[in-house]
Amino acid sequence: MPREIITLQAGQCGNSVGSQFWQQLCQEHGINQDGNLHPYAAEGPHAGGDRKDVFFYQSDDTRYIPRAILLDLEPRVIDSILSGPYKNIYNPENVYVHKSGTGAGNNWAAGYAMGETIQDEVLDIIDREADGSDSLEGFMLLHSIAGGTGSGLGSFLLERLNDRFPKKLIQTYSVFPGNQDDIVVQPYNSLLSLRRLTQNADSVVVLDNGALSRIAADTLHVQEPSFAQTNQLVSTVMCASTATLRYPGYMHNDLVGIVASLIPTPRCHFLQTSYTPFTGNNVEAAKLVRKTTVLDVMRRLLQPKNRMVSANPSKTSCYISILNIIMGEADPTDVHKSLLRIRERQLATFIPWGPASIQVALSRTSPYLQPPYSSRPPPRVSGLMLANHTGIATLFKRIVAQYDMLRKRNAFLEQYKREEPFRDGLGEFDEARTVAVDLIAEYEAAEKANYLSGDGEEEAETGADRRTDGVTGR
Amino acid sequence: MSTTAPPTRLDSALSSLLSRLIPDRLPHESQEQADARWEAANERARSLINSAADAEADESSDGRWEDVEFVAEELRRRMRDEGDDDGQERAQRLGGLVERLQAQKVLGRKGGILWFLGRVAEDMRREEEEGEGDDGDDEGKRLLGVPRSRGMGSPRARPVGERATGPRPQEASVGAEQKDDIANGRVEQGGGPTEAALMRDLPFTLQGLSSTNLAFEDDVSLKLPPTLPVPMIALLHALAEPALLYRSLAKFAEKSETGGLVSQSLQSAIGMELRSYLTLVAQLEGQIRRALLSVDDQAPKGGLGKTGVTLKRLVVWTRDATIALRLMSLIVESSRGKKGGELISCIHDYATSHGDPFVHTFAERLLGNITKPFYSMLRRWVYDGELEDPYQEFFVHENSDNEDGMGPGATSVWEHKYALKPAMVPSIMTPDFANRVFLIGKSLNFIRYSCADSPWIESHSLTSSRELSYGDTATLSSSIDTAYTAVMARLLSLMETKFALFTHLTALKKYLLLGQGDFIALLMESLADNLDQPANSQYRHTLTAQLEHAIRNSNAQHDNADVLRRLDARMLELSHGEIGWDVFTLEYRIDSPLDVIVTPWASKQYLKVFNFLWRVKRVEFALGTTWRKCMTGARGVLAAVDDKLGADWKLARGAMAEMIHFVNQLQWYILFEVIEAGCEGLQKSIRKPDATLDTLISAHTAYLKSITRKGLLGGGAIDFPTQLHELLKLMLSYKEAADALWSISIDEFGRRQERAAKIETRTKAGRWGLTEADDDASSLSTRSPIPALLSMGNSKPLDEHAVLETLRQRLRGLRGDFRAKITVLLGDLRDQPDTDMRFLGVVMNFNDVYQPARRRRAPGGKTKG
Repeated sequence: MPREIITLQAGQCGNSVGSQFWQQLCQEHGINQDGNLHPYAAEGPHAGGDRKDVFFYQSDDTRYIPRAILLDLEPRVIDSILSGPYKNIYNPENVYVHKSGTGAGNNWAAGYAMGETIQDEVLDIIDREADGSDSLEGFMLLHSIAGGTGSGLGSFLLERLNDRFPKKLIQTYSVFPGNQDDIVVQPYNSLLSLRRLTQNADSVVVLDNGALSRIAADTLHVQEPSFAQTNQLVSTVMCASTATLRYPGYMHNDLVGIVASLIPTPRCHFLQTSYTPFTGNNVEAAKLVRKTTVLDVMRRLLQPKNRMVSANPSKTSCYISILNIIMGEADPTDVHKSLLRIRERQLATFIPWGPASIQVALSRTSPYLQPPYSSRPPPRVSGLMLANHTGIATLFKRIVAQYDMLRKRNAFLEQYKREEPFRDGLGEFDEARTVAVDLIAEYEAAEKANYLSGDGEEEAETGADRRTDGVTGR
Repeated sequence: MSTTAPPTRLDSALSSLLSRLIPDRLPHESQEQADARWEAANERARSLINSAADAEADESSDGRWEDVEFVAEELRRRMRDEGDDDGQERAQRLGGLVERLQAQKVLGRKGGILWFLGRVAEDMRREEEEGEGDDGDDEGKRLLGVPRSRGMGSPRARPVGERATGPRPQEASVGAEQKDDIANGRVEQGGGPTEAALMRDLPFTLQGLSSTNLAFEDDVSLKLPPTLPVPMIALLHALAEPALLYRSLAKFAEKSETGGLVSQSLQSAIGMELRSYLTLVAQLEGQIRRALLSVDDQAPKGGLGKTGVTLKRLVVWTRDATIALRLMSLIVESSRGKKGGELISCIHDYATSHGDPFVHTFAERLLGNITKPFYSMLRRWVYDGELEDPYQEFFVHENSDNEDGMGPGATSVWEHKYALKPAMVPSIMTPDFANRVFLIGKSLNFIRYSCADSPWIESHSLTSSRELSYGDTATLSSSIDTAYTAVMARLLSLMETKFALFTHLTALKKYLLLGQGDFIALLMESLADNLDQPANSQYRHTLTAQLEHAIRNSNAQHDNADVLRRLDARMLELSHGEIGWDVFTLEYRIDSPLDVIVTPWASKQYLKVFNFLWRVKRVEFALGTTWRKCMTGARGVLAAVDDKLGADWKLARGAMAEMIHFVNQLQWYILFEVIEAGCEGLQKSIRKPDATLDTLISAHTAYLKSITRKGLLGGGAIDFPTQLHELLKLMLSYKEAADALWSISIDEFGRRQERAAKIETRTKAGRWGLTEADDDASSLSTRSPIPALLSMGNSKPLDEHAVLETLRQRLRGLRGDFRAKITVLLGDLRDQPDTDMRFLGVVMNFNDVYQPARRRRAPGGKTKG
């Protein structure tokens, strides 16, 4: 019972991130481009230390095949994947490209509507994949919410998964648009997707293009980061956040274990990430190996510049929870010291209504990323922070604000009205906005001491003496 | 006598020689007498030298005595003829001296000088042998008329090997019976056997045999003829001492009862000493015989004196031997009842702490002999690991009482099979050294019997075995050191390679300390349903089947087959009313010889830690399951009933988040701060270069102790186990309550679905979707709870409402309890001296959400609501 996770990659962004992700997983697990284990991974001293079956299954000829479903409405990205170096690892039956190949044209509604038309085929694939696992833990959806396919088809998939697998965890890695995205209708698409992410997913790892570019530019000294580079960042984050699933240790060996400690209430399930230090084959400047320490890593993870979300937290923003996944040569005593240091200097503020702290998971790193298997040693210590922070609401506020601006002018609505979900009017938009506003309110409420008890009663046990001025922002 | 004018050099040499031989003035003579004596001697010597050649020439060929070589040869021959033990040596010395004499060019008549000196020496020796007590007897016999006085420093024949002793005051320790004899007046003046008769008997007496005149009454007393004069009695007393001592010693040396090998060798050593005493006695006997023979023809009285063999002389001659015998009997006396090491220590005391060099050398000589069996035991022990000690003399002894009861486990072999007896450690080795020796042998024995590696021992003992003997301390300690290093290294490498110690320690950590997370999670998941059942409905085969399943499906499958074979799932002893969770345990079988490190005690600790961690894990698992249920449910079911139960769920989730946080922090703390840190310490001490099996054992023990202590499993003043146990129990109860809330939500959802379906069918049928009757019948719960409260008409919603209320109460209560208990725990943790434990308190309350119990007294602190 490996607690399998099925990865759905939708749209251009989802698929390119996905292909990076699988490539990296293959490297970490010593799987070669055919899906077979490298001899050193099959026989070597490290064989058996990792769990490949969470993300891969073995075919009859013992090749490792990703539990991945590649979906797109236009063939370009998937074609490039299927002609790339790792083309052979995928199960061709799990690749679905819409026959017309026209794509969704950056239109959420088109993507959603096309999803409806292809749902039989797609759901067949998903069902087959789910049947092939012993104890399916959940799904991981990779997509962006700004375009058409990732957001529209992704939203559609989330709804279907919700119905079909009501007890499975649904996690998404959602790339949010940055400020200067060139898709004019992205506020529409984002808002519509946000509704599904709020209602139909259990955990959303928010990554935003603006932040990704900024990190690529700032920390990696790349002026105009390519998609490949930002995608590399995303796949690095994904690998790190699944490290404890793939390298079993004392704790956090399943998705529930990770997510349960992060998400106390179901609405507040948007997680932001930080990662440090970035290295990667695609990112030339990061090739420099840094002698990092646990304290360095844990401190940097809390710095805004390393956050992969461009949220603008207010003064009252606080962490609901933090999980640091520290990889490499991390000594528990160093973690111990770092935690005390962080607490002493109050580098992080937490919610007033319940216990919260920086939880730490120590994970091994893949032996195959180190010499002699790799030409370049990885950083001594690297870390990923998964954080549930109320400041993320500002990101949603921005989306709502941008939406409001477009909507006020009724701009670009025609192409939406043509599609099925808007046949009966634009009610869908309003509903989505309501959900988004509720979500923002929820996050703002979570900054208050009386979050759990609601309006009337004041929960006295919320020890830290904060404001008791009832619910605001609602 | 031709008196040539002697060269002045000869004169001075002669006078200096004479002045050495002739004392200045004896107390009983006047200055004139002394001068006269000196003159006479001088004259005689001079004439002797001058006439040497002539005198001898009468008997033998001419000029021979002028030949230095011839004279020297003649002297050498005489010396050899004397048959003295050291005659040879003296002859050699003579050779050296002669050479030096010849080298002196200024001296003439070298042959004469040599001859003279030879004569002088001979005379003096003869005097010596004649002994004392013949003052004034046949002055003519004495060449130079040198009077004798004791302690003059002239060399005297002494028993071999005992010449280092100076004269000692005579001790009056002769058998008490002799004194009794005197006291009883049995000693009569005059009469009685003559000195000659006594002399004849004396050799027998000295050998401990009764004779006509001197009969041994019993072992410890000698009967003296009653009619002897007092001075004679005194002499006899002196002579009786060695005789009696000899008798008792001989008895000791011959006794056949075996007090042990060391005692036996003491006996034999003493026997040897006695033999040399007997040699002396034999010599004396020879002297006496000769004297008696020469005396027999002459007048009995005074004749003896002439021969130079008198009772007095015998006393003198036997004096050193007496001292030796006395010492021996002292040793024998003090060694009584001691054996082995003690005995050696006892004798070693004489060798080290006794000021008398005679005693010292004597004891050393004895030690050389009596330690032989000890060293052969030591050798067997150090090189073969065998205890060859039939008489329990070695300082290591086998614990015989241990063989039963402890079972055949290696623990008993290592810890209990042998023990060090500090009292038996001979003082020739330091306790530290003895401990090393003990460890070596114990390790060897362990290697041989528990690790079944006797081939190595054989080759080891072949290649490195060395003769060990007393006195060679440097070699001894270096060979022991070598053996120590070799054996320890071998034992450790055996543990590491053949018995895969580290593999098993890792396995223990992986399986019993939950390091292999995926395996544990899987095991827990597959066992969960089973373990919810009462303890008495658990079946071992189900457990093992699930264990097998968990192994097969987790990464544990890649583990060593030997490791997996040892893993077992079983139930603890049943006690009444428990459920499966309480009695389930994993077990990791450790067998010989590793159980020397992972002792039964250690296994118990492992089980204890496992059970605690398992319980914590179970709570985590339970909370996780419920969390998943309500989290995924929030997408559907719960979202639908949010209006009614939303607030409840929010609170419940808050509480569960709190609990999950608590459990996660607790687990982090125990797994990383305690176990990992402890494990690191263990690794460190195991890898130390001078590690021994004992270091391993103690390091492992310390590791487990720190886990149990820091892991809040007891050992402190505060009862953390109970506190934690109650917290965990509360969490489980809360989980159950949350599940109940879940069921209510599901029911509610079902009802709404039903109602919606009804409405739909009715609408389709063209009727009103909802009627008054429906409102009454089904429920008002779709509306807000307040109207529901008012709908008294139907009992069902009321019941349901009551149930919900109770549940809310319960949830609130449990949460309150939980918070209260946590604050107590945090308060206790804060006061811990251990920084790690204080750290746990800190991370559990990282954002100061709790007020640790103690702080409630402080002003401004909030009271609990």
